[in-house]
Amino acid sequence: MKLDPTVVARIQFAFTVSFHIIFPTISIGLATFLAIVEGLWLKTKDAVYLQIYRFWLGIFAMSFGVGVVTGIVLSFEFGLGFARFAQIAGPAIGPMIALEVLTSFFLEAGFLGIMLFGLHRVGPKLHFFATCMVALGTLLSASWILSANSWMQTPDGVSIQNGHVAVTNWLNVIVNPSWLYRLPHMLAAAYITGSFFVAGVGAWYLLHGKHEDFGRRTVALGTAFATILIAGQVFLGDILYGTMLRYQPSKMQAAEGFWEDHSQSPAPYYWIIAPDQAHQRNRFAIGIPYLGSIWLTHSLRGQVNGLKNTPPDRQPRMVMVFYGFRIMYGMAILMFGVVITSLWLRWQGRLFTTRWFLHALLIMTPSGVIATLAGWYVAETGRQPWVIWGILRTADAVSPVPAGALLSTLIAFVCIYALFITAFLVFTFRMIRRGPELAPAHAEASGSLKNALRPQVMNNAASSHPALEEQLP
Amino acid sequence: MNLPLLSAAFAAFAIALYVMLDGFDLGVGALLLIQSDEHLRDHMVDSITPTWDGNETWLIMAGVALLAAFPIAYSILLPAFYLPLIVMLLSLGLRGVAFEFRYQVDSHRRIWDVAFSFGSIMAALMQGLIVGGLIQGVTITANRFSGSVFDVFRPFPLVTAAAVLNGYLVLGSGWLHLKATGALRLFAERMLHRATPLFAGLAAVSCIASVFVQPGIAAAWSAHSVPLTLIVVLFFSTFLAVMAVNGGHSDILPFALALGLFGLGMSGLVLVVYPNIVPFRLPLWDAASSTLSHVFLLIGAAVVTPVVLAYSAFAYRVFRGKTPEKGWGV
Repeated sequence: MKLDPTVVARIQFAFTVSFHIIFPTISIGLATFLAIVEGLWLKTKDAVYLQIYRFWLGIFAMSFGVGVVTGIVLSFEFGLGFARFAQIAGPAIGPMIALEVLTSFFLEAGFLGIMLFGLHRVGPKLHFFATCMVALGTLLSASWILSANSWMQTPDGVSIQNGHVAVTNWLNVIVNPSWLYRLPHMLAAAYITGSFFVAGVGAWYLLHGKHEDFGRRTVALGTAFATILIAGQVFLGDILYGTMLRYQPSKMQAAEGFWEDHSQSPAPYYWIIAPDQAHQRNRFAIGIPYLGSIWLTHSLRGQVNGLKNTPPDRQPRMVMVFYGFRIMYGMAILMFGVVITSLWLRWQGRLFTTRWFLHALLIMTPSGVIATLAGWYVAETGRQPWVIWGILRTADAVSPVPAGALLSTLIAFVCIYALFITAFLVFTFRMIRRGPELAPAHAEASGSLKNALRPQVMNNAASSHPALEEQLP
Repeated sequence: MNLPLLSAAFAAFAIALYVMLDGFDLGVGALLLIQSDEHLRDHMVDSITPTWDGNETWLIMAGVALLAAFPIAYSILLPAFYLPLIVMLLSLGLRGVAFEFRYQVDSHRRIWDVAFSFGSIMAALMQGLIVGGLIQGVTITANRFSGSVFDVFRPFPLVTAAAVLNGYLVLGSGWLHLKATGALRLFAERMLHRATPLFAGLAAVSCIASVFVQPGIAAAWSAHSVPLTLIVVLFFSTFLAVMAVNGGHSDILPFALALGLFGLGMSGLVLVVYPNIVPFRLPLWDAASSTLSHVFLLIGAAVVTPVVLAYSAFAYRVFRGKTPEKGWGV
């Protein structure tokens, strides 16, 4: 069998980027959560907030670490696997990523050390500032990378000169048509992911009757944040849907699972289909009658546009886009149900005692990660066959590297990343099992703070910050 | 204004900072392998933990600056060094997660330390391999890489790989000389004593061999004979200085001199390679991005880099002083 370098390069990029995005999603959410919790601690001096901060800081540090090292890979992979893409698009996306490094990566890296190990060296106020800077760094990073990715989805502000992209207007490149909607959508997704993570772990403690104070507080915080964010996400998602329908109709046609130019009337809302791309039809399709018309056209008998509106050589693979969209949307519906229930239970005063609801929260712990990944699959597979929409096809973007080399490095990536995720999960579960009281704070577990905790440094820090002295175990 | 030249200067600045800063991190990581005392290993890692992430960010900065300002060079060099780059990235990844994960285990910390060390050594070797490959020259046709991805595994790059690893060992030992006391400081002195002459020897072999593998080197020597001679003389005198101050009263001097070694090495390379961006193959102006791309990159760099340097220095200041067993020094 002859390997196609394009296919292997795409699988490699898809694998490394999918693996990577899990960790920034968690750390964007957790960084902001940590900043809020530390702010609450400084304001209220309530020891539980410090406990929450220290517990989640350990998990944040691990996910941040994995996110950093898998992210470095991506900034080189543009050239490693897709040299032609780098050559053509470099003038537009290069400077944006350069600014991401300058404004965000350095900000995170500069203050992360202080955030993780510096509480006793710099005192609580400056430490809170460091936490906020790390959270701001994650936000800026998301903003720049969404700008670069959105430019690939809806390129603007450039002209093509001798086969290369030349920037004519930076404002249009950065604030391209889809960025304004995709950025808040992704940020909300990351914050929702963090909220369900925090609430799920809190629910586990309540179910096991351990660390009740910690559990109650985190379930209360997590569900409250999730409620507000999901309400916002419903609107953001709807606006984004309309935007993408205008700029990338083929993506949304594939996402809804219809082939014919106009669907039957009334249109069902499909949940399971078996698309046959070669014959431009579904082998079978299962859906809810009328719902497609109601949701997608806001009328009882409206017709939905199918993928045949797009010529076959410009169509994405329906199966990827459709199921990506269904998984994301399905998760969103489940999350919506959970937060509505949480509101009802909160009003009833039974939020911490309703066991079936706590079980539901526990099961939903990874829901944000799943929904975010599925959403990115819609965005990226739905853009195909283009890597830069309308400008460069993915197949024309690949590096002059033999398929065998690509395949062996892909295998190496899979092995090493399997080690990363296994270690991450094992250590995260262990931290959760040990609990917030027994587990030493990450900072203490590591030598740096152990060294920083030299008696006189400790005393200095503690005496100048009486609040800190009370909170320390 | 000559924008591509300014962008190239910024990229060179980022590479130089990366090599110096992550150089000592990687050196300390490599030294973990031969340190059998777990307690001392903890202290070695502690000395670099709070600041390593910022150091490594300069690597991304250099890579992305190349993508932004010289996309043609980026799209030639990355496929040319596909294999060493991927191995380097995986090794850096292994080392990066080992920082976090080694603290999570009590009984099998050695395993993570071996991974840490292995990652550091491989990353250093791959970087040296790439330097050698750049000097030997990559094959290009019509602004595209047209050689084989295995071209880099030739004798000359293997020598430079060993040289760079040893150079990082000198930097790492110098760093420990600065940060450690007691047994670890003695360990640092021993390592400096061994790695410095080895680095000097390998650097000398690389310098001499480069003239034979790359005709452009001889041309550069005749074009810049005075400054290059000066650099080489200073470079090799610095080795003697490192040996002389090793174990002395000044904690920082061996480290500062080791940084000087890398500074001199980088300036020598810049002098030889200039005005090309793909060494001996492609002038930087022929590989440059559109004007507005340089403008954007350079304005961003000019505004943000001073701030980055300021708070990076602040982070180093927060964790200044000794990282010894019994607490931070006087």
